[in-house]
Amino acid sequence: MTGSIEQTGLPADIPDLPAPGRAAAIPVSATRAGARLRKSRWPARLDLLQSVSGLFLALFLVAHMFFVSSILISKDAFHTVARFFEAAWLFGKPQPWVVSVVVGVVFTVFVLHAWLAMRKFPASFRQYRVFSEHKAQLRHSDTGLWWIQLWTGFALFFLGSVHLYGMLTQPELIGPYESADRIWTGTMWPLYLLLLFAVEIHGSLGLYRLALKWGAFEGRDPVHTRRRLRVAKTCFSVFFLGLGLVTLLAYVQLGIAHADQAGQRYAPSVVGNVAVRN
Amino acid sequence: MSTSPRILTLRVLRSSPVEGEAPHWEDFRVEEAEGMTLFLALTEVRERLAPSLQFDFVCRAGICGSCGMLIDGKPGLACCALTRDHGTTITLAPLPVFELIGDLSVNTGKWMRGTAERLETWIHSAAKPDLTAVEPRMEPELAEAIYELDRCIECGCCVAGCGTLRMREEFVGAIGLNKIARFRLDPRDERSDEDFYDLIGDDTGVFGCMSLLGCHDVCPKGLPLQTQIAFLRRKMVAVGLK
Amino acid sequence: MRIVYTDVLVVGGGLAGLRAAVGARRRGQDVIILSLVPPKRSHSAAAQGGMQASLGNTFKGAGDNEDVHFEDTVRGSDWGCDQEVARLFVHAAPQAVRELAAWGVPWNRVKAGPRQVVMDGQHVTLTEPEASHGLIAARDFGGTKKWRTCYVSDGTGHAMLYAVSDQAVAERIPVHERTEAVALIHDGTRCHGAIVRDLVTGELSAYVAKATCIATGGFGRIYRVTTNALINEGIGAAIALETGVATLANMEAVQFHPTTIFPAGILVTEGCRGDGGLLKDASGHRFMPDYEPEKKELASRDVVSRRMEEHIRAGHGVKTRFGDHLWLDITLLGAQHINGKLREVKEICQHFLGIDPVKDMIPVRPAQHYSMGGIRTDAAGQARGLAGLFACGEAACWDLHGFNRLGGNSVAETVVAGMIVGETMADFVESSAGELQVSTALVREFLEREQAKIDTLLHGNGKENASELMRRMQDIMTEKVGIFRRGDLLQEAVDELQALLLRSRKIGIDTKRAGANPELVTAYRLQKMLKLALCVAYGALQRTESRGAHFREDYPRRDDASWLKRTLATWHDDFQTLPTLAYESLDVTRMELPPGWRGYGAKNAIEHPATEARVAEVATIRSAFERADRYTVQQALMPFDHLVPEAFRGRNARPGEQTS
Ligand SMILES: Cc1cc2nc3c(=O)[nH]c(=O)nc-3n(C[C@H](O)[C@H](O)[C@H](O)COP(=O)(O)OP(=O)(O)OC[C@H]3O[C@@H](n4cnc5c(N)ncnc54)[C@H](O)[C@@H]3O)c2cc1C
Ligand code: HEM
Ligand code: HEM
Ligand code: SF4
Ligand code: F3S
Ligand code: FES
Repeated sequence: MTGSIEQTGLPADIPDLPAPGRAAAIPVSATRAGARLRKSRWPARLDLLQSVSGLFLALFLVAHMFFVSSILISKDAFHTVARFFEAAWLFGKPQPWVVSVVVGVVFTVFVLHAWLAMRKFPASFRQYRVFSEHKAQLRHSDTGLWWIQLWTGFALFFLGSVHLYGMLTQPELIGPYESADRIWTGTMWPLYLLLLFAVEIHGSLGLYRLALKWGAFEGRDPVHTRRRLRVAKTCFSVFFLGLGLVTLLAYVQLGIAHADQAGQRYAPSVVGNVAVRN
Repeated sequence: MSTSPRILTLRVLRSSPVEGEAPHWEDFRVEEAEGMTLFLALTEVRERLAPSLQFDFVCRAGICGSCGMLIDGKPGLACCALTRDHGTTITLAPLPVFELIGDLSVNTGKWMRGTAERLETWIHSAAKPDLTAVEPRMEPELAEAIYELDRCIECGCCVAGCGTLRMREEFVGAIGLNKIARFRLDPRDERSDEDFYDLIGDDTGVFGCMSLLGCHDVCPKGLPLQTQIAFLRRKMVAVGLK
Repeated sequence: MRIVYTDVLVVGGGLAGLRAAVGARRRGQDVIILSLVPPKRSHSAAAQGGMQASLGNTFKGAGDNEDVHFEDTVRGSDWGCDQEVARLFVHAAPQAVRELAAWGVPWNRVKAGPRQVVMDGQHVTLTEPEASHGLIAARDFGGTKKWRTCYVSDGTGHAMLYAVSDQAVAERIPVHERTEAVALIHDGTRCHGAIVRDLVTGELSAYVAKATCIATGGFGRIYRVTTNALINEGIGAAIALETGVATLANMEAVQFHPTTIFPAGILVTEGCRGDGGLLKDASGHRFMPDYEPEKKELASRDVVSRRMEEHIRAGHGVKTRFGDHLWLDITLLGAQHINGKLREVKEICQHFLGIDPVKDMIPVRPAQHYSMGGIRTDAAGQARGLAGLFACGEAACWDLHGFNRLGGNSVAETVVAGMIVGETMADFVESSAGELQVSTALVREFLEREQAKIDTLLHGNGKENASELMRRMQDIMTEKVGIFRRGDLLQEAVDELQALLLRSRKIGIDTKRAGANPELVTAYRLQKMLKLALCVAYGALQRTESRGAHFREDYPRRDDASWLKRTLATWHDDFQTLPTLAYESLDVTRMELPPGWRGYGAKNAIEHPATEARVAEVATIRSAFERADRYTVQQALMPFDHLVPEAFRGRNARPGEQTS
C-alpha cells in the first residue's frame, strides 16, 4: 500500500484484522524462487527403507515359517535344515556362529524397521486418544487395520526381541529336541503363540499396506483392487497362522514326549556325511 | 406414497467458542418429509426450534463443499444426505481438525487457504500468456485427466477422515497431495519434481501418509486419492534417491 | 473503532470479484477481498454449462467471431442491452478464456476426427478438423448461431473459480472470509469503502478504500424457489441502493428456468425434455399439449415456465408440505439412454430425491435463475452516482444482458467485466480522483449508525419474526412477480411488500448474542432484501410491455416505442417504502444492430420511431464498406475501441482467420 494512511492523517497503528481466512504465517513465493533451500532427501530414503525393511522381514518370515515347519515332515528334515544354516557344507564343520550372524542381520533389520515404524506411533497420549476416538467414530476398515498393525508391531517389539535374543545367543540349540524342549520344558510356547499371531497378522497387513502405499497391482479400479488385496491378505494370514499353529503343536507334542529327557540333543536317525555329531 | 412419516431426532453437538459455551448434545425433533435432506431438516430446526443454530450451507447441491460435517460419525456433505438413508436418530457433529466456529460450523476456508499457500497451488509459469494468440494446444485426454483431479471441492471430508491428520495436524492430508498431483500433471505448470519435493517431501507431506485410505472412502466427489498418493510417493522417492 | 485501509476493496469473492482483484493487484494496488464464505464456495462454482467465447475451433463453431457473438447477445437481450458493452464483451471474451487456460483451467479440447452427437433427437456424426486438434472445444447452447460455449465437462464454473481463486492466492491478496459488507461509507458523491460485519464475532469495522468494487452476485433468494445459492441475497446491490445515490437498473429483468427439482430448486438440464421427456400433473395428465399444441414441452424456456405455473395455479399441482410441483417424466427414455446421456440428472435425482429417474418421475417446478439487473455501471464498470464505487458480475447491470441473458454469457461476463474493472480501478487509484480524503468523523458516523441498527434489532422491543417475514416475501415474489406478471397481481405484490417493509422495522430477535447469530443475520438482510424485492416488483408493475424474461400477460407485446429504455431505481431515504424510478432511453440511432425480430419468439413488437431510419443507415454503411474487412465495417457502425483497456487491445486470432 502506498501512503494512504499518511494522506488521511489517521492513526497509523492499524489494529489486527478480523480476518479468519487471512494468509497464514507461511512464507509464500508468488513466483518460483530459484534459490530456495533444497529439502533433505532423507525422509524419502527413510520411507523407502521402512518399506524395504518391512518387506525383507515379511519375506524372511515366509521362508522362516517353511524352515521351522519342516518339523512336520520329520525330525530329520528339521535337523537337516537347522544344520544347513551352520554351513558345514561350506566350512566342512558346523559353525553355529554363522547362524548368529544371520540372526544378527535379521535382528538389525528388525531393529531398524522398528525404529522407522515407531515414528508413526502416536507420539503422545493426546495423539493416542485422538486416533482411537477417530477410529471408533469412523468405523472404517483400513483405519482399523492400521491400529491392529500398530499394536501387533508394538507386541513384536518385545516378543520378537526375546526370540531373536535366544537365537542369537544359542544358535547351536536349534534342532528337533532342542527346540521342542525349549518350547515345552522351557515354557516358551505361550510366547511363541503370541509371537505367531502378532507376526502373521502384522506381516500380512504390512504386505497389504505395502501394495496400497506404493500402488502395486493398481489396475483400472483401485477400489476393486483393494477388495482383492484384502482377500489375499486374509488368505496369507490364515495360511501362515494355520501352518504355524500346527507346527507349534508338533513342537509341543514332541516337547511333552521328550520332557523327561529334556536337554538331550537330537541325533539324526541316518548318520550321513553331513551331520557329524560333535 | 409413504405411510405415516417418521419423527426424526437430530442429535446435534452444539457449542459456541465465542460465547464460551462448551460442547453438549442437544436433540431436535422434526417430522420427516419426502426426499428430505439434512439441509432441509436443519433449516427447519433453525426456523422453528433453534434460531441460533449455526451451520454452513451455500449451494445446497453438493457443489460448493461448505456443508461437511460428521453424520453419524462419518464425514459427509449434509446437503446431499437424505434422511431416509439414516435411522430415526441422526447424530451431527462439526468436522474435527478445523477451527470450530460454533455448532456445526467450522472454518474450512482458513485451513484451505493455508494449504494453498503452503503448497503453492497455482500454475507456476514464467511466460506471460499472449491473450490474442491462438491458445497452446493440449491433448483432450490430458485435459480430462486434469479435470478429474481438479474436481475437489475442498469440503474437508478427507481431512476429517484421516487418522494421521487428526494425530498430526501439520500433515498436508489427501486434499493437499491431490492438489500437488493435479499441478504436477498439468504441463502448464513448469515446476519440476524437485520443486514438488520441496513442498511435500517429508513426513508432513507425502511420506507422512500411512495409507489409511479414510480419505479415499469418504471423498464425496470420488476423487482417486488412493492412486494419486501412491503415485506421488513413487515420484517423490525417485527424487529422494537421485 | 477498527479501521482497515486499502487501495482497493472488493466486496465479493466470486469469479467477478476475484478477477477484478487480481487485475488491480497486478497493477500494484493493495487489495482486500471480502466474502461471506471462502471464495471457492461462491455460487460461481455452480455453473456447469460453460462460458461463451467466439474461438471458432470446432466444426460447428467454424466461422464464429465477435460479430456473430455480438448479434446473438443483442437478440438474446431483446434489444435491452447496451450494445457498446456487448461489443466490448465479445471482444474480450476470447482473451478471458485464453487467460484462464494459462491459469490452469482444463478446458475440454477438440479431438480431431469423427464423433457422434445427438442433435434434435437424431444421431449425427460430426468430423472435427485436424487443424483444431488440442484447441479449446465448445458445445451448443440456446440462442446461439454457433457452438460457442467453452466448457470443462460438467464443472465449468468450478474449474474457473478455482483457477482464479488460486491466482488471488498467488498474488497474496488477503481474503477476509466470513465477513459481510453491511453499508457503504460515502459522502453523497464519493464512496470511501464499507462497514463490514464479522460474521463470527459480530464485530463491525470500517474498511476504508480508494476504490470499492461490488461483486456480490445475484439476488435470487428474494424468491422462494430459486436455483441460486443460499448466500445469493443481493446484499451488495442493496447496500449500493441504500446510499441513496447509486442506482440499480432493470431490476424487473429476472430469468426463470423451467425444470428444477422440487423442492430443492436444483437445476436439471433442458436436455431431459429435448430428448423426449414429458411434463405431467398431479393426475398424471400430460398438460403441455393443452396449452401449446405445436411445440408442447419443447416450447421456449419462458413459455414452458409460464404454462407450468399457470397449471399449478389452476390447482393441478402435486401438493406437498413444501408447496406444489409438477412431474417431469423421463422414464420413457429407457435405462440405457438415461444412464448414458443423462447421467448427471440421474445423480442429482439419486442424491436429492433418492429416486431413480429410470423408474420414477422427477418432481419439478420452474425457479428463479438469474438477475439481469443490478448496480448500474458505465462500460468501464464505474457505478453511476458515486465516484470510487465500481461493480461487476451478476451484481452489476453493466448491461450486457438486457432483458434476457444467454446461457454461458454470465460466467463469461464475470471474468471479462472483472478484467475491465480491475484496470479501471487501478487507473482510478492512480489518478488524482482516486486520492483518499475521508474524515474519521464520517467513518465513525457510519460505524455508529450501523451499530445502532443492529442494536435496535437485538435489543429493541420488536415482535415481528424475521424468518416468517422472509418466507412471506419469498412467497409473494414467487407467486406474484414470477414468470408471468399481471398489473393487478403486481400491484398486490407491491402493496404487500411495502407492508412487509414496515413490519420489518419491528423485528424482534430471541437470540440476543452479538456474535454468530443466524437470526440476527436474517433480520438485517431481510430489511435490505425487501428493498430489492420492491425494486423488482415496482419496476415490473411500471413496465407495461413484455421484453425478454419480463412477461406481462396484460401487455404481451414488446413496445420499443415507449419502453426501449432502462429502468433506474434509487432509494433516497430510509423511510421511503418504494424506490424512486427513472428511465434512461437506449439510443436507437447509435445501435449497430437496430431493433427487430429476435429470430424466435413472438413477432409482434411495437417499433421505435427511429428504428426505420437507423436500419436504413446501417444498410448504407454496410454497402459503402462492402469491400472492407469486418473490423472496418464494425468501426464505421459503432466504434467501441475507446472502451477497451490498453491491456486488452488487439485482434483475437482464430485458426483459419485472417486478423489483419
Ligand atoms: C445453478 C446455476 C447454474 C449456472 N450455470 C451457468 C452457466 O452454465 N453458464 C453461465 O454463464 N452462467 C451460469 N450461471 C450464472 C453464473 O454462474 C453467475 O451469474 C455468476 O457465476 C455470478 O458470479 P459473481 O462473481 O457475480 O457472483 P458469485 O459467484 O455469486 O459471488 C458472489 C460473492 O460475493 C460475496 N458476497 C455476497 N454478498 C456479500 C456481502 N454483503 N459482503 C461480502 N461479500 C459478499 C459472496 O460471498 C461471494 O463470494 C448459473 C447460475 C446458477 C445459479
Ligand atoms: C519391533 C517390531 C516391529 C514394530 C514395532 C513394527 C511396527 C510397524 C508399524 C507401526 C508399521 C506401520 C508403519 C506405517 O504405517 O507407515 C509397520 C509396517 C510394516 N511392518 Fe512392522 N513392525 C515390527 C516388526 C515387523 C516384522 C517382524 C515384520 C515382518 C513380518 C514387519 C513387517 C512390516 C511391513 C511389511 C510393514 C509395511 C511397511 C510400510 O508400511 O512401509 N514388521 N511396522
Ligand atoms: C534369523 C533369525 C531367526 C531364526 C534363526 C529363527 C529361528 C527359529 C526357530 C529355530 C524356531 C523354532 C522354535 C525354537 O527353536 O525356538 C523359531 C520359531 C519361531 N520364530 Fe523364529 N527365528 C528367527 C527370526 C524370527 C523373527 C524375526 C520372528 C518374528 C518376529 C520369528 C518368529 C518366530 C515364531 C512366531 C516362531 C514360532 C513358530 C511356530 O512354531 O509356529 N522368528 N524361529
Ligand atoms: S479430496 Fe474429496 S474429500 Fe477431500 S476436500 Fe476434496 S472433495 Fe473433499
Ligand atoms: S486417510 Fe490419511 S493417511 Fe493417507 S491415505 Fe488418506 S491421507
Ligand atoms: S451446501 Fe454446497 S456442498 Fe453442501
